[in-house]
Amino acid sequence: MALKLNLVNCQSQKYPSFALPQMASLRSPKFFMASTLRSNSKEVETLKKPFSPPREVHVQVTHSMPPQKIEIFKSLENWAEQNLLVHLKPVEKSWQPQDFLPDPASDGFHDQVKELRERAKEIPDDYFIALVGDMVTEEALPTYQTMLNTLDGVRDETGASLTPWAIWTRAWTAEENRHGDLLNKYLYLSGRVDMKQIEKTIQYLIGSGMDPRTENNPYLGFIYTSFQERATFISHGNTARLAKDHGDVKLAQICGTIASDEKRHETAYTKIVEKLFEIDPDGTVLAFSDMMRKKISMPAHLMYDGRDDNLFEHFSAVAQRLGVYTARDYADILEFLVGRWKVADLTGLSAEGQKAQDYVCGLPPRIRRLEERAQGRVKQAPIIPFSWIYDREVKL
Amino acid sequence: MASATASSVSFTSLSSSLKKNQVSHLKKVSVSFGGKSFKPVPLRFRVACAAKPETVEKVCEIVRKQLALPADSAITGESKFVSLGADSLDTVEIVMGLEEEFEISVEEESAQSITTVQEAADMIEKLKE
Repeated sequence: MALKLNLVNCQSQKYPSFALPQMASLRSPKFFMASTLRSNSKEVETLKKPFSPPREVHVQVTHSMPPQKIEIFKSLENWAEQNLLVHLKPVEKSWQPQDFLPDPASDGFHDQVKELRERAKEIPDDYFIALVGDMVTEEALPTYQTMLNTLDGVRDETGASLTPWAIWTRAWTAEENRHGDLLNKYLYLSGRVDMKQIEKTIQYLIGSGMDPRTENNPYLGFIYTSFQERATFISHGNTARLAKDHGDVKLAQICGTIASDEKRHETAYTKIVEKLFEIDPDGTVLAFSDMMRKKISMPAHLMYDGRDDNLFEHFSAVAQRLGVYTARDYADILEFLVGRWKVADLTGLSAEGQKAQDYVCGLPPRIRRLEERAQGRVKQAPIIPFSWIYDREVKL
Repeated sequence: MASATASSVSFTSLSSSLKKNQVSHLKKVSVSFGGKSFKPVPLRFRVACAAKPETVEKVCEIVRKQLALPADSAITGESKFVSLGADSLDTVEIVMGLEEEFEISVEEESAQSITTVQEAADMIEKLKE
């Protein structure tokens, strides 16, 4: 059976063949995960390889933006310089991970570490699963810088290009880099998690990469990043809130500071798309609809720790249960963006554009309804071990 | 002692809403006889438990509504959701619509195996047994 690009297959080892039109689960937000394939699927290989991380299953499409539209981004360079770069923070004014961690040069270092560990002891394992998942996602930053540099018209051609787009991408990467560093150091000092397993997970994830199906198309790319920045803002905001609930104010500050960066980035990316809606409403609404139909895949959906073939699914389930990042959030983000970009008010659209407009505007309630139905079902959530916490068990 | 009775039994085929190349169910059999009573045997089944025509019709209606297809569009038991233009979200919503309409609850595993109108109708019948 041919692979249908518009189907979401959530593969687990139970269903090795990606050819099965597997229907989304009504029970969990895994509906919104992208397609993954275990590389020991019989569709692809006959030998079972040990430690096979998941791979993307969809056909990878490239350069879907018509080349004449590259001009648009060239012509927006001045605009970007004036309106985009302002959302970057100068390095001298930026926080650094050390601002939130015990000071190794201080005599009080050991006490500070002791206090950190005591606070961390009061925080339950399931919270750490969510935090580790977020940290692993942040640490896969090379993948995201790469993804930005796949986009036609805005890529950093040399690694030191001076176009505003390239300056933005590098500076954005530099800001994001602090997030993974900070969470890594916190988790290392906390003593609550198995750093080696986490480090393995990061190595696998960077090796896997990701294809968010942005097709070298900056319309798709910036819509994707807009969505993602808001998603991380919400997610880190929730881990901040929960850290406070568990009595760790310092950890709450860590997560909250990261969240405020994400908010600033969200403002920048949504501004780009707003500009695109202004100059090419039809093209942009079609792009928005396309990304939503393909579903926004989470950056770490290929995560693997060498043990759990469904690691991302399990991590997501915990994040869902804790309210760190939920299917509801997905719908809320979509609704926010529809409002932010005033999609409902667009006029002068082509027939295809109107269909796209209707689809996107009508989607949030559909997702909410699905999620309500899933929540309404009586669920037996299993309790499973996570290698990130020395195989201690957590309820999904 | 059995008395002689003339029994006339007739089975009609499924309603004409199904196309000819549909799953063939009970053929039109008219049996009349005197003497012994006789249990008629259906001649050919393509599926183990044939869905009622009304069920198939209702499924078609739900699919039509979900996919916003015109009233005269061809939807039959054989119709694959995906061929009718359903994406994965539509398919999930179709199953949800069936759950509501028929007051059933569909297990994930069963839901995953439904790709056509007929499969949906058959599953409904099974759940309502």
